[in-house]
Amino acid sequence: MTQETQSALTPEVKAMIGVSGEVVEGWGVVDEEYLRRFTQAIMDPDPRYWDHEFAEGTHFGKIITPPIMVSYMSSRIRPDQEDPITKAFEEDPMSDGIGRVSRPGSLPSVPTNLVRVLNAGNELEIYQYPSIGDKIFFQNRYSDIRERVGRDGKPFLIVTSETTYRNQNDDLLCITRASSIRR
Amino acid sequence: MTIVLEELLQMTAEEIWARNERPTADQLRNKEQTFFDDVHEGMELPKYIYRPTPTHLFRWSAAIENFHRIHYDLDFGLNHDKNPSILVHGSWKQSVVPQYLKDFTLPRGWPWKARFEHRAMLVPGDVLIMWGRVTDTREKGGMGFIDLEIGMKTHDGIESMPGTATVVLPLRDGPEIPYPFVPPAD
Repeated sequence: MTQETQSALTPEVKAMIGVSGEVVEGWGVVDEEYLRRFTQAIMDPDPRYWDHEFAEGTHFGKIITPPIMVSYMSSRIRPDQEDPITKAFEEDPMSDGIGRVSRPGSLPSVPTNLVRVLNAGNELEIYQYPSIGDKIFFQNRYSDIRERVGRDGKPFLIVTSETTYRNQNDDLLCITRASSIRR
Repeated sequence: MTIVLEELLQMTAEEIWARNERPTADQLRNKEQTFFDDVHEGMELPKYIYRPTPTHLFRWSAAIENFHRIHYDLDFGLNHDKNPSILVHGSWKQSVVPQYLKDFTLPRGWPWKARFEHRAMLVPGDVLIMWGRVTDTREKGGMGFIDLEIGMKTHDGIESMPGTATVVLPLRDGPEIPYPFVPPAD
């Protein structure tokens, strides 16, 4: 077998670099109640999140939200779709609770027979805090796919998916990247 | 001045918890600006200490609508996934990072970017230390760029989230950091 045929970074895999999903409008808007629950869950009591009068006098001029809070809005289950949690447990009482559902804007699978997936890390770039009332638009993209060789001599892939978040004015809010190892 | 990380790690879990420097709402309201001129290589950031309980994990799951049972169903975690307990979410750790950088740069700096890996399983009972240390400083476009080494260690000294970050601080006699943030051109 030649080295080329052993490579996991096949032309089909390489072709996925730069592939983007559709731009998706997240369900709902950034609202004060979601902000309250989120900031209490990360234990951040910053008055810039809840004191309007104080927030208006800050560098940011109004209430802000944690920068990547909107990234969790993108995974909301829309009420106009089938409930994937209930479905998951109907199909398998021992479901892990995640449910098998294709979410809007999902990227096509990377065509590889390396099926084991491990989290390799995250990146954040922050440009503007989302504001109360913002609609959130997001788009996924395969920003990078690299090949490495493990200690066992077998190739594996590091697949990086990038998500860009913008508001209703097309302002760039933040970019998140999640890298996974495919073995 | 914050305690040095290596000294903190010599302490018991209870002693570490007592050195928690997570700010209160009033401290964040009244925070004075750290300027680029105040920062030097090797300087350590305040240590944020967390003691996550099952209730904290459940609250985070509910807040972000993450229903993965490994985070709240102990029986499932132990017997199905063979985990040592329910697990602290990587997404929670990921959300602590920008909070930590925001607090350091307030009131007029900017927590620009960060990258980190998830390496260890964290469970209720762990005492967690969010830490940061300055590795480089440079001035560009009238702004002060600070490179940091960051992480979240357990009280046993296990690094669960090694990473790096870059934040932006104003110069003492410099212009405001633009908001929304626009990095200077290379």
